[in-house]
Amino acid sequence: MAHLNKSEAFRQGALIFVFLAVLTALEFFVAIAIGSVVLLVTIALVKFGLVLHYYMHIYKLNATEDPDIDQHSYAYKLTTSRLGLWLFLLSDSFVFGGLAVSRFYLLGLTRPPLNQILGLVVTSVLLLSSFFMNRAEVSMEHGDRKNFILFTSLTLVLGLAFVAGVLGVEWPSAMAEGVTPSTNAAGAIFFMMTGMHAFHVITGLIFLGVIIRNGSRGLYSPEKHWGVEAATVYWHFIDVVWIFFYPALYLIGKIF
Amino acid sequence: MKKFFSSALWHGFLWQAIGWTLGASFLTLIRVLMGLNPFATFGFTEPAWVFGGLVGALSFLGGSGVVSDWFKWAKGEETPEHHQDPDGWEKFINISLDHKVIGVQYTLSALLLLVIGGIFSLIFRTELAQHGLQFLSLQWYNTLMALHGMVMIIGILLGIAGVINYILPLLIGAQDMAFPRLNAFSYWLAPPAAILLLSSMALGGFDTGWTGYPPLSARTPVGMQMFFLGVIVAGWSSVLGALNTIATVIRMRAKGMTAFRLPIFVWAAIATSIIAMTATQLIGLSFQMVMFQRLFGMGFFDPAKGGDPILFQHLFWFYSHPAVYVFILPGLGIISELLPVFVRKPLFGYRWIAMSSLGIALVGFLVWAHHMYTSGMNEYLRVPFMYSTLLVAVPTGVKFFSWVATIWRGKVTGPYPTAFLFVLGGIVVFLMGGLSGPPNATVATDLHLQDTYWIVGHFHDTLFGGYLLPFFAAIYFWFPKATGRRMNEALGRLHFWLMTPSFIVLTLLMMRIGLLGMRRRIADYDASLGFDPYHLVMTITAFVIAFSVLIFFINFFRSMKNGEPATGNLWNSRSPEWQVSSPMPVHNYDQPFEVVGEPYDYGLADSVYVKFANKKTGGRN
Repeated sequence: MAHLNKSEAFRQGALIFVFLAVLTALEFFVAIAIGSVVLLVTIALVKFGLVLHYYMHIYKLNATEDPDIDQHSYAYKLTTSRLGLWLFLLSDSFVFGGLAVSRFYLLGLTRPPLNQILGLVVTSVLLLSSFFMNRAEVSMEHGDRKNFILFTSLTLVLGLAFVAGVLGVEWPSAMAEGVTPSTNAAGAIFFMMTGMHAFHVITGLIFLGVIIRNGSRGLYSPEKHWGVEAATVYWHFIDVVWIFFYPALYLIGKIF
Repeated sequence: MKKFFSSALWHGFLWQAIGWTLGASFLTLIRVLMGLNPFATFGFTEPAWVFGGLVGALSFLGGSGVVSDWFKWAKGEETPEHHQDPDGWEKFINISLDHKVIGVQYTLSALLLLVIGGIFSLIFRTELAQHGLQFLSLQWYNTLMALHGMVMIIGILLGIAGVINYILPLLIGAQDMAFPRLNAFSYWLAPPAAILLLSSMALGGFDTGWTGYPPLSARTPVGMQMFFLGVIVAGWSSVLGALNTIATVIRMRAKGMTAFRLPIFVWAAIATSIIAMTATQLIGLSFQMVMFQRLFGMGFFDPAKGGDPILFQHLFWFYSHPAVYVFILPGLGIISELLPVFVRKPLFGYRWIAMSSLGIALVGFLVWAHHMYTSGMNEYLRVPFMYSTLLVAVPTGVKFFSWVATIWRGKVTGPYPTAFLFVLGGIVVFLMGGLSGPPNATVATDLHLQDTYWIVGHFHDTLFGGYLLPFFAAIYFWFPKATGRRMNEALGRLHFWLMTPSFIVLTLLMMRIGLLGMRRRIADYDASLGFDPYHLVMTITAFVIAFSVLIFFINFFRSMKNGEPATGNLWNSRSPEWQVSSPMPVHNYDQPFEVVGEPYDYGLADSVYVKFANKKTGGRN
């Protein structure tokens, strides 16, 4: 956010995080107490919109550009790269969309018997990582390399915790409940959705590792840090996917 | 030969073989440690083959060096914007970032795959010439028939990418595609994909046809998995190429090239790319789910576990129906692009054509279930999908009216150029394909036509008319742009007049016996049905088509070296790429141009389309 100074941008990021956290708590409450699918979908869409605008800065796609700009300049290529990344995310979202459709096609308004508290915990970890990722990007935009490294590393640690939580805790605990890949379609869908998402988280972690390494060697500047921006947007995209997958797997529907 | 063994292509194949072996051995080792049986019918076990195939494809990319620049970027190194390509033929089997080289690579690979797919069809077509099984086993018949389908489809996708890659940046005045490295990467995904696909023959083949429906695809031999992997890898090539196309059109246009001054082919390329970039993921996903069902017992499509095979068909056709628009839209774009040049008249209804391409693409997303009327899906879905399908005829009809109106009172002096013949042939054959479509879209008639040879005739007409004939037109038309020489016209005409009439006979007979009850995808038929003479004639026409393609290849390779030189504006075209000399300079346009008028004002005096800057401007490269 170029027009905000650093502390304003930090504050905005924190505020959005609070909104997202409140919505996540509300979502959980709605699922337990009311069970309204419409409400759950609405909340997910609101969270989606918040992340898309305030964390992923989708409006940058629409930025006005000097018509006489040199096509070989960094600024021009940056806009092109940004467009390419968003097109990729659009394409990738069809994979996740297809999985979500399969989930509702096969299971309808039932869900596998999963530990909802555990789901909330991993969701919170991922949400918190998005918050730190936003701070990391803001730090880089204002040339604060030390904080950039710090916050990206925190994101990385939380991302690792998320993967460990899903693969190392959630999967065994689901299997203990009888939800395995091969028992029934519900188990298959659960492992496919979380597995595909975890695969994306792992690629995101590699991406974060790369920008931490290059950032610590001073390769990014407030003017030139497309690598950081791309990693940030990708990381938030992973969060966005989980915003929909989490209610689809843990909250919507009755246990069959 | 020495040049070949030091090429990226050879290194890629070598590494693919190494990676495949190592990957499969690694997984086998793990199986041994876990106490599972290490070997099965085809040597390695199925998981080992799949893992090896995946590692092999990745090793190809590493070994060919197409990802090296990205690794350097990850390490924080800069890489030069343009690599220097060698002058000779070896640049086509090495990594190049030049869109023109990549376009030729795509086109040559497409032609190779079309030949392979064509040979498959000749084999099983010969088997069908007479009732009874003569020389193919049922398993081989099924495998060849399925591979004919998918190899042709991937050949078509590569051919489209070839034309788009070569022509599109020239048409819009760009120096290259928006992402040159991604462009190279998209191309270099194709060779390992082709190897994976063809390797299915060595691993027992598969019975499902190109659609790979479960539950059968969950049971056939390991070849099925190689088919799935190959399609997934080729699918990524298509996705990334489409992404690049869209970004290129949005970002790299010449000055003054507003939306409605874009060449009409660019509109078609955009429409096609929107589908390819998004829907392709769904066929990848559906195939991946079957792969996992086979590997891990995940019961997505297994009714015994609460799964549903119909779900596969929904996911599969969500791509595979729009996919046919991916194939035909660029072809129809080529027809619209070339027609005005030959008849010397403005393109009739430019805006309508542009919008009809987008219209076909968007409606195309809503029609997939017309493949499933007899599948057992919910019956209430049939009628909405019938109407949405019939709706496709509207934008397609717009294109036909425009072509007819463009040809109306056009003036073609002298003998028709081969490219023009192929354009006209494309229109006629695609009309046949189009008219045989609505009976399949209509529920009442489709219940009888489903899975008959009528369908086979229908889609061969659409793909031949909508893609293959325009593709040949594009090759004859732009060949001088790439080589500075033109292809032989007499041989070209022979190619056309052998291919098109035999093809029309072939598909009409397909439809005829389909109506009489010939089922598709079967290796044998009852002699008492009386189909033998039909099948014999169809087999003969298939060989005539193959012969005409042979003539095309002779012409193609001879003209490269010995063709009549054609360095100027051979077709008297208004398009910018013909205003500079052929073959195209390495960095395209030395002077940038500005668009100052309408693209297709043929025959109108003092109407200018592009204006080149007079003085040399000081851009880089």
